[in-house]
Amino acid sequence: MFVYIARRLLMMIPTLIMISILVFVIIQLPPGDYLTTQLAELAAQGEGASQAKIEFLRAEYGLDQPLYEQYLRWAGGLLVGDLGYSFEYQLPVSEVVGDRLWLTMLVSFATIIFSYAVAFPIGIYGAIRQYSPLDHGLTFIGFLGLATPNFLLALVLLYFSNIWFGTSIGGLMDPEYLDQPFSWGKFVSVMQHLWVPVVVIGTSNTAGMIRRLRANLLDELRKQYVTTAKAKGLHPARVLVKYPLRMALNPFIADLGNVLPQVVSGAAIVSVVLSLPTTGPMLLRALQTQDMYLAGSFLMFMALLTVVGVLVSDLLLAVLDPRIRLDGGRSR
Amino acid sequence: MSGRWQGLWQKTLAAAALVALILAGAGAARAQDGGDTRPIGGFAAESGLGSQIEILVSPSAPMPDHLVEASVLEAAVTAGTLPPIGERLPAKPAVDDFIGPDLQPGRQGGTWTMLVGRPKDVRMGLVYGYARLVRYTQDLSFEADILDRVEIQDGRTFTMRLRPGHRWSDGEPFTADDFRYFWEDVVNNPKLYPAGPPRELLVDGEPPRFTVINDTTVRYSWSKPNPRLLPAIAGPLPLTLYRPAHYLRQFHERYADPETLLRMVNDRKQSSWAALHNRMDTATDFSNPAYPTLQPWRLVTAPPSIRFVAERNPYFHRIDINGRQLPYLDSLAIDVVDGKLISARTGTGDALLQARGLDFTDYTFLKAGAARSDYKVNLWRTGRGAHLALYPNLNARDDGWRSLFRDARFRRALSLGVDRHEIDAVLYYGLTIGGANTVLKESPLSRPAYRRAWAAHDVAQANKLLDEMGLDRRNDRGIRLMPDGRPLEMVVETAGESTEQMDILELVHDQWLDLGIKIYARPMQRDLFRNRIFAGDTLMSVWFGLEAGLATAETDPWELAPISQQSLQWPKWGQYYETNGKSGEAPDLPSAELLLSLYKDWTVASSSAARARIWREMLAINADQVYSISLVAGVLQPVVMNARLRNVPERGLFNWDPGSHFGLYRPERFWLDN
Repeated sequence: MFVYIARRLLMMIPTLIMISILVFVIIQLPPGDYLTTQLAELAAQGEGASQAKIEFLRAEYGLDQPLYEQYLRWAGGLLVGDLGYSFEYQLPVSEVVGDRLWLTMLVSFATIIFSYAVAFPIGIYGAIRQYSPLDHGLTFIGFLGLATPNFLLALVLLYFSNIWFGTSIGGLMDPEYLDQPFSWGKFVSVMQHLWVPVVVIGTSNTAGMIRRLRANLLDELRKQYVTTAKAKGLHPARVLVKYPLRMALNPFIADLGNVLPQVVSGAAIVSVVLSLPTTGPMLLRALQTQDMYLAGSFLMFMALLTVVGVLVSDLLLAVLDPRIRLDGGRSR
Repeated sequence: MSGRWQGLWQKTLAAAALVALILAGAGAARAQDGGDTRPIGGFAAESGLGSQIEILVSPSAPMPDHLVEASVLEAAVTAGTLPPIGERLPAKPAVDDFIGPDLQPGRQGGTWTMLVGRPKDVRMGLVYGYARLVRYTQDLSFEADILDRVEIQDGRTFTMRLRPGHRWSDGEPFTADDFRYFWEDVVNNPKLYPAGPPRELLVDGEPPRFTVINDTTVRYSWSKPNPRLLPAIAGPLPLTLYRPAHYLRQFHERYADPETLLRMVNDRKQSSWAALHNRMDTATDFSNPAYPTLQPWRLVTAPPSIRFVAERNPYFHRIDINGRQLPYLDSLAIDVVDGKLISARTGTGDALLQARGLDFTDYTFLKAGAARSDYKVNLWRTGRGAHLALYPNLNARDDGWRSLFRDARFRRALSLGVDRHEIDAVLYYGLTIGGANTVLKESPLSRPAYRRAWAAHDVAQANKLLDEMGLDRRNDRGIRLMPDGRPLEMVVETAGESTEQMDILELVHDQWLDLGIKIYARPMQRDLFRNRIFAGDTLMSVWFGLEAGLATAETDPWELAPISQQSLQWPKWGQYYETNGKSGEAPDLPSAELLLSLYKDWTVASSSAARARIWREMLAINADQVYSISLVAGVLQPVVMNARLRNVPERGLFNWDPGSHFGLYRPERFWLDN
């Protein structure tokens, strides 16, 4: 088991290096650089964008150096925890990101918990009472959630939460709390706003989760050992929880690696629509303006989440399933 | 309502005409005889020793007998951390007289909440604050503002007199040294300004002679007139001729302790002291809370944030006739939200006063929420020559298209093929004015012929022009064929920021099909959109029309000549001019070359009459050559304001330059009634 974990950890290093190179290349692919967008701004401010000034700024930002040197500077910085410099904000990336990471985490984890809390009972119910009217009803709602574009749902919910509850539109709290230290009122305000993005981002995940759990559980419920256990007089709830449910969980945990980055990146469009102070809108803007270190650091963060997520799911699977635990390290 | 509107315009025209007269010297004697030093918007003139002197003063009512402390500042004054109001004001503050319809002195308090679409737009705080050395009055003439007085001799020597005792927002004195610092240590330091002084300070490439006369007087002089100086320093993102020297010295190689400076450079991850200095010198950015300012509000929130707050500047130089220091509103709160959410949030009453991010297409939605959220929706005139126009890219890389676009007959045919009446009726409830992309009729330079030129909907004539050009072959779908056999189908690119543009293009698509030309609309992200045009990849683009819709002879006619890469019809010619021929392409159309030489003439023209004549000539060429194809003009701008907000005109002009949006109406005197 120890060897298995050690191997998995070591594998992460070359993976991340590969990803960092890819990320850097992809950000550099569009023609031009941050300065080409910046120049339009300068001209609009009446500062003649002369060639000398362009060269000056390019040198100042280190954009005149060859690509590999720019990459090495950035990657080298990442190793010591330096995320680089954001051109757009004219601040170190770490300062730009600041609170946003925590708010992103808050939204993401709330969403994951919401999805699980909704998907589990419905999925289990759907499996035990297959084709009952309620199963059909819940399936219908689930598909609605899957089929409605997230941003549309977001706008509709925003409108109604404003009309019915007077919640301000967009953001994660009422504007007056934005520049205030944490307080009870602020907490309440966050909770009032949080449910909209959580429901919106959560619905699309939930439907898929319900279907998977229901299908897996149905497979298990029809197996012999379930019938045997029931015949021996075991309580139905205990039968369900002890074996079939546990077996049905396997694909869920294997999925965990994807859930983390999916929730973070999938929420970008919704976050833009809702004006959430999370990383999504900032990433989008950074990509548009070719603010490369800011964009790069975000993408690396997501890559790291994926890699860690896959590791966690592998470890959990190993705990859950002895077959993986016992020969996973050897046979591969 | 419209009566008052017209009245305002008549006054504007009258005033502008008077100003022109005075500038030409004809009215000089009369003004002096009358002994009135501020006949029109603070403009005064007197004749000197054979030369012509204009004096811009800051109109000021008599000083009130007593001063009233702002309640939000009382605590600090009592605690002794802030001097009392009498010691904070300049020796001669600007006393607002509140002359004008529906203007009344008010009381202090309240927050101006507004919404912007991206972090950079926080600088609207600087635009709306609109404290300038010299500013535009509502009739678009100039008056001194931060300066107490400006004396201009022959349009080439500018003597600027500061208010004695004027202070920066941190309480430090604002003096001639702040001008010297800008001229000597910023603009003429090759590390900070490698390209040298800004264009507006150069006349024919010649920099000004700058002299400090005493602590409160500086002078800029050139050998020829510099008509670009006043518009530049009165603009929305002004050329600021001064810098807070006491603050910036700590970042300057010449003054700072080398070790401390190096530490600061490293702490902020800058590459050099110059980069650090440029970073901290946020004169036109509104992004550094430590930066001392002369504006009515000073920023207190450090970026990054999604809500920026600016508080009242306790040292602001304007007061009202009751002795209350302006601005009335205690603070600005600028929320950064997605651009598409601005109308939705405004509709729920989240903004105290909002126009940016709102389109005419939002009008019905905004009206619907007015009663529930207690606000008013007014419609203001916009000042652009056209609300939207099509720009054929004369520098397109595609040879076939480029030669078509360079043929004036082709551009004229396209313009004749647009049915502006249909666009107006379908999208704007018949409230717009048709016609070509040229100055509005409110501009003293306008002539009806400019607006009518090639702007009638005349399919027959358009088809005749196209046939004449040899584009008479068509394919089986009725689309004309280019000389090289390709069908006349082109992609029209838009910055994709509003559905309005796509809706109009939908109409234009059908209208141009009657000419045998097919278009496809393609929205894209704004930065990408511009880069494609600059590179010549774009054939035709949609953008706003002429910014200088309200031009006077003194307005810089840069949009009419190929001198800027930002002009979407000739970006490469513009780049050629901007880079002194290092990149881009030289203009090779006779009419464009003529425009360029006219522009150069304008920058050195010695009289207002000469400038007006050049303007007219440039307008005539632009009208005849149809470099841009107007789609719709005179669209109204919805302005949403809280029902309790006072001193905001019901009918106004919403324009960027001149106007600074709300700046023209002096936001420091907007106030909230209970």
